[in-house]
Amino acid sequence: MTTIANRETKHESNTTDSLGTLLKGEEGIIHAVPEMGLLASLGLRRGKKVRLVSKTPAHGPLVLSVDERSVAIDRTLAERIIVRR
Amino acid sequence: MSSHCGTRKRRYRRGKKFRGGIHGTVLLMGLPNVGKSAIFSRFTGLDVMVSNYFGTTVEFYEGPMRLGEKNYLLKDAPGIYNLEEPSDDAERVAAKMLDEEPDAVVFVLDALNFESSLHLLLQVLEKNIPTVVALNRSDLMRPRGIAIDHGLLQRRLGVNVLPTVALRGNSLDVVKYALENAIGTKTEYDVPGPNKRWNLVEQLTSDAFRREPKKERSDKHGFLVKPWPGIPIALAVLALVFSFVIGFGMGLRQFVLLPFFRGFLFVHIENAVEALFTSEVLKNILIGEDYGFLIKGIEWPFALVLPYVISFYAAMSLLEDVGYLPRLAVLLDGLFKKVGLNGSSIIPLLLGYGCGIPAIMATRSLPSKKQRISVATMVCFAVPCVAQTGVFIALVAAQSIPAFLAIFAISILALVIIGVILDKVNKQQAPPTLFELPELLWPKPKLLWKKISFRIRHYLKDGAVPMVIAVAFVAVFYELGALQALGRAAAPLVSGWLHLPEEAATSLVLGIVRRELTLVVLEPMGLSTVQFFTASLVALFYVPCIAMIATLAKEFSIRTAVVILVLTTVTALFLGGLFAQMAALITA
Repeated sequence: MTTIANRETKHESNTTDSLGTLLKGEEGIIHAVPEMGLLASLGLRRGKKVRLVSKTPAHGPLVLSVDERSVAIDRTLAERIIVRR
Repeated sequence: MSSHCGTRKRRYRRGKKFRGGIHGTVLLMGLPNVGKSAIFSRFTGLDVMVSNYFGTTVEFYEGPMRLGEKNYLLKDAPGIYNLEEPSDDAERVAAKMLDEEPDAVVFVLDALNFESSLHLLLQVLEKNIPTVVALNRSDLMRPRGIAIDHGLLQRRLGVNVLPTVALRGNSLDVVKYALENAIGTKTEYDVPGPNKRWNLVEQLTSDAFRREPKKERSDKHGFLVKPWPGIPIALAVLALVFSFVIGFGMGLRQFVLLPFFRGFLFVHIENAVEALFTSEVLKNILIGEDYGFLIKGIEWPFALVLPYVISFYAAMSLLEDVGYLPRLAVLLDGLFKKVGLNGSSIIPLLLGYGCGIPAIMATRSLPSKKQRISVATMVCFAVPCVAQTGVFIALVAAQSIPAFLAIFAISILALVIIGVILDKVNKQQAPPTLFELPELLWPKPKLLWKKISFRIRHYLKDGAVPMVIAVAFVAVFYELGALQALGRAAAPLVSGWLHLPEEAATSLVLGIVRRELTLVVLEPMGLSTVQFFTASLVALFYVPCIAMIATLAKEFSIRTAVVILVLTTVTALFLGGLFAQMAALITA
């Protein structure tokens, strides 16, 4: 079982970038999230591991996998979330 | 069908008396899509109704639940993520329902959305209302390598936590028993304030929640939202639904309902009327060839429209229960954004192919007023309801399949054009998309059946009954010659501009009552294919039915309803006439 704390330390040295820059299938650890209750409730909180499942057509939302859930998030919103690779 | 008046009012009136009296209320709460409604239908019997929260447009279910010797009213609060930051009307209603201090709360803690569920639970417990926690979907935990120490949660929070499987009844008896004991007790839960909530959630998760390293990736259904193969699959699903609705409906009509009505029921009705009455006028009204009330008044609502109502809601309910619709919404989101709408607009639009009223009401879940009005306008203009489609199939497709397909192509083209125009009128960007894609689930036949039968009963009460009454009026007025007089008055428009027989004026009047009547009353007139196509064009764009107009006025404003009414009428008559005139030029 991985706690949030040791997940973070493992990736301490890596670079940070916006969630929007993840490639399909790539994973990242959330480093900073805008203050929004719904983001937190959907599992998008600091320290969480996310994977980019899909970039939908016509510049549509990104589909992320976080914990066991799938979340669709607008690209403009995704760009405001910072992840560590 | 015992009563035909006041059914709508009854659906919306709050506090209907249930048999045996009600001792108090119990609120069912949880995140969206966690199987709350499955628990709800297990707890309550058939005596369930849709209610409307006072002063809002949000609907929820309520029904009586027996606890020991007493009856309680169980209310199914809309799913919510966060009590303090409700993100739409439905969430605000859920928060308000809790503030009204029910006698107890059943909280559905979702094993698969553990942390978010727990966060909401802490918010609920802060209200210190007697609460019982149903740890739902506990059957799915083991196959997914999840283990939850519910005993630990119970000790830390001081609340009863019971593992349940909503779709199997027995574990829910334990919840009922716990509820019975909890009601009336004074409770004070050991929960921190707002600032420490996520901390406690993460602490409890690390202590009580175990997940084995996954063998299977959690996004195994991810392919459905990828451009490839997601888009071809979406097209295939829609094509399949379309052919099922038409095929199944047609089969039901041709092989079950028509043989029964025409081969059996009508024969007996005709014999009985012939035997009982001698007056020719009365006979014509009751069993006349054109609009005989006892014939058409039964055949149209029950043999022509009902089969498609059944097939449409079967397909739609299945899509809903499987959880495919949010995936369709995600795939289409980018496209819809081009006209300032969110992808979730696809859900009211699809519902509109069933009936415009639930479609207009479903726009409530859209994020802005602009989107609500745009989608409602699109539905009113260019989405034929299932009753209309049934008539298109029975009358137009029977004459010419290309004409039938053309009507649907025009409908879709019109949707796009209306979307673009409305976006030009009101240039307001859609808010950013953010929602959870619920798990794909195998449909549960029992729940599915409950949903389908609920919608069919609703059609029988609010759809079929007005249609029967309308046919009765037509039968009488036709026999009295009133329709013919009306036809002569409207002749310049109907026969001059639309090139339809004079009596077709009836259809324009009746179309206001029910959308399908615009076409269906033309059946006995023996129209040519060109005339049928003209009439279909008019019917497609023509005024939404009277119930839809009322819904528009209620949901938006009388002004909106009037504007839509005028615009649809003008568009319908203009386009229909344009086609008729062009066809006349070509054939001349």
